[in-house]
Amino acid sequence: MHGEESRNELGTIKIHKNVIASITSLAAQEIDGVNRVGGDFKSGLLKLINRRQHWVIKVEINKNEEVHIEVPIVIKYGFNIPDVANKVQESIRNSLEKMTNLSIKDIDVNVQGIERGQ
Amino acid sequence: MRILGIFFYATIVALIGITLIIFALNRLNPQDITEIMIIMQESLSSRLIIGLSGALLILISFSVAQLILGRFQREKTIAFSTASGEVTIALSAVEDLIRRLAGIIPEIKELRPNVVATKKGILVDIRVVLKAAANIPEITSRLQEIARSKIQEVLGIEEQIIIRIHVTKIISLEDRNRKKKETGKDDDEPTIPFSGYSRT
Repeated sequence: MHGEESRNELGTIKIHKNVIASITSLAAQEIDGVNRVGGDFKSGLLKLINRRQHWVIKVEINKNEEVHIEVPIVIKYGFNIPDVANKVQESIRNSLEKMTNLSIKDIDVNVQGIERGQ
Repeated sequence: MRILGIFFYATIVALIGITLIIFALNRLNPQDITEIMIIMQESLSSRLIIGLSGALLILISFSVAQLILGRFQREKTIAFSTASGEVTIALSAVEDLIRRLAGIIPEIKELRPNVVATKKGILVDIRVVLKAAANIPEITSRLQEIARSKIQEVLGIEEQIIIRIHVTKIISLEDRNRKKKETGKDDDEPTIPFSGYSRT
């Protein structure tokens, strides 16, 4: 799995895709209305084998070093889906820009289900 | 690549089918098959080819499965774009939302929704089991209203929402009592006073 790489006078700084996925997962879960990250078939399998939830987040970096993210989420019952999805996108963009200085191209949110809040 | 994969997969399946038909027509002796297998196993290169063919078949099977699943998943979503990217909502999420409505109307015993996104709009088929005392026209129109407003409110979409309700069963009091007896739970059963207490 490749990541984002930047160079300064002392050497190179590499940010692994898993780090981007972790930040994405944490930023999404901060939003009121998000029950959990995941909810698709792949995350169900990962949950069974006890793998971390950020593995379900798809991170792609193109030749122009722009990041494309796909994040599956499950929303709490009673919340407006477009509102929550917009807030998730904003939160992820802000967190990633603040923590990694990356250029974010797209943040695609896939709402996989609606559940009662935990 | 995908077309090639499908073509290859179809050819392999057709070949298996032809072999089975030849075997059924008695044109192929089991001894011939054994001899071919022995010849194939003796040579290292033929074993290598068989092994590689097996690996290729597994890879193609996975790619075909992924293709079918991917197509299936794309059809089962509602999508809209925002400034930051795309938001897709799985239709199963809309079904979850409708299922929760069963708790709002007490006359509904069971509710099974099926949501399909069509060109005309969102088509919602709801199969319901009602309790005997329920007024069907009133309950069903109330359910349609609630489902429509809830979908519009939660999804924030302006597309047309068509809600079709199909009453599959009406459960009478007798049915409910019979079910209670079958499961062994009877609310009318007298309880023993202070039965939960014991000497320590």
